[in-house]
Amino acid sequence: MRRSERFVPYRLLAPALALELVLVLGPLLVGLWYSLHNVRFFRVRGFTGLENYTRLLESEEVLNALWVTAVFAFFALFLTFILGFALAMWLERDGRFNTAMRAVVLVPYMIAMLVGSMLLKWVFSQEGGLAPMALGPVGLGEVSILGDPKLAMAALVYNAMWRDGAFAMIMLLAGLKAIPPSLHLAARVDGAGAWMRFRRITLPLMRIPILITLIRLLVHFVNILTFPLILTGGGPSGATEVVVLKVFRLGFGDHLLGQANALALMVFLANLLLVGVLLALFRRAGRI
Amino acid sequence: MHGLILRRRIGRGLVNLLIAGFALFPILWGLSSSLKPTERIVEFPPRLLPDEPTLEHYARIFQDDAAFYILNSGLVSAATVVLTLILGALGGYALARYDFRGRSLTMMATVAVMSIPIASLLVPTFTLISVLGLYDTRLGLVLLYTAYQLPAAIWMLYGYFMSLPVELENAARVDGCSPTRTLRKVVLPLSKPGLVAAALFILVFAWNDFVVAVTMTSSQEVRTFPVAIYFYLGFYGREWGPLLAASLVSIVPIIAVFVFLQRYFMSGLTGGGVKG
Repeated sequence: MRRSERFVPYRLLAPALALELVLVLGPLLVGLWYSLHNVRFFRVRGFTGLENYTRLLESEEVLNALWVTAVFAFFALFLTFILGFALAMWLERDGRFNTAMRAVVLVPYMIAMLVGSMLLKWVFSQEGGLAPMALGPVGLGEVSILGDPKLAMAALVYNAMWRDGAFAMIMLLAGLKAIPPSLHLAARVDGAGAWMRFRRITLPLMRIPILITLIRLLVHFVNILTFPLILTGGGPSGATEVVVLKVFRLGFGDHLLGQANALALMVFLANLLLVGVLLALFRRAGRI
Repeated sequence: MHGLILRRRIGRGLVNLLIAGFALFPILWGLSSSLKPTERIVEFPPRLLPDEPTLEHYARIFQDDAAFYILNSGLVSAATVVLTLILGALGGYALARYDFRGRSLTMMATVAVMSIPIASLLVPTFTLISVLGLYDTRLGLVLLYTAYQLPAAIWMLYGYFMSLPVELENAARVDGCSPTRTLRKVVLPLSKPGLVAAALFILVFAWNDFVVAVTMTSSQEVRTFPVAIYFYLGFYGREWGPLLAASLVSIVPIIAVFVFLQRYFMSGLTGGGVKG
């Protein structure tokens, strides 16, 4: 490299860096500033220290939101991952048909989350008639899925599986492809059955891809907003009001920008932790 | 023996049918409902297929300026794609061809920003965007979308540039081309598949985005199509016909792009690096 070119890479990266600093780091700093003040409608009234934070952690609604998020993230993660893994194994072999099937499964992932949740809302809604018709024979025709706290949560988890199962599939498929077929062949010759090969070859060699998939799904689910906003509206009575939806309502509904920013920053810290784990995994996988 | 193979085939076929049904049923049901006349949409028990299909709901949303919102979405998406590709190519090229202090830190930051979900940043971003005077502008949306998709674009293009042989570039440099000229005249023409993949990825994101657009804009002039659909929800209240019609219209370009260019998406989904 010529001496005069020492600064070339920095010059090439400068515009990107500037944009990220202003629009990704900038909000965090402004948000931090607001979170330490008493704010109403952009009027920063006075420094209050951590009062916004303590008030949030004492609020029933916020604690409920954290609990709801944990429940949703747990079930969504578990079921979406299992579904994704099953799909990846089922459609592993390359071929015209399987490639087409993968595309079909990916459709819910490709369309807008808003639209997906809207379509599911229609499927689950009482007026659509589909849910009452399906539940009628078991005597639950009068049960409103989105009106019942537990069923609404189940619907939300279903939304997660429906959309993100394909994402898990693609991530895991990449890991499956990296396993040399000769290993399975050799184990077969030695008389290992399908279950044995899955436990002794697939699972151990898939450790890093599995962990990366799990963390990426978890980050996504912890920060879920569109599903509950559209599908359940957070209801009934807060049963599906996840934490980012709470941030959304505090900020854009109640205009409490101090508290909203404080809660957003707490969520961001949790994200940072998860992303840290993800980075460590990427390092282990040799991708950074 | 033949019976066994046949039974297996039928079994596999059934499972595949079940999977396809799971994935596509909500969309098909929405399509079917959107083609029914208003009074038939909520009839009980529901008919699986419309007995007298009508396009009245589609006509209705286009009377209500759907075309304008679609155009708006298209404009914002296109501008985002162009800007992100330019900045992404510059950044990706720096990472792929230069060894410099801070390189691995840049890579880590790229992956980190790529992984942080936008939803948690909405309120702080809204705060900043308002302070900057970019609230309720198309420019604000384009800049935000670019900021969110740029790390992924850098990452994808970095991966693609790494796969290209460096000799051609060296030859161009010996002939006196500057680094940016080499990038423009030699590297980019060779990188069409990588650029297409990144462009599609950005396009789908920008076209589909709802949460950023709904929080960073308010007036009708800058409204994008997903936000318009969301407002139909309130505007039409319990009228599902126009709502479902609008939802399906928004899906059409995605499906079209996806069907024809599917293979480009996979590398983007896995975050580059690993082949899918």
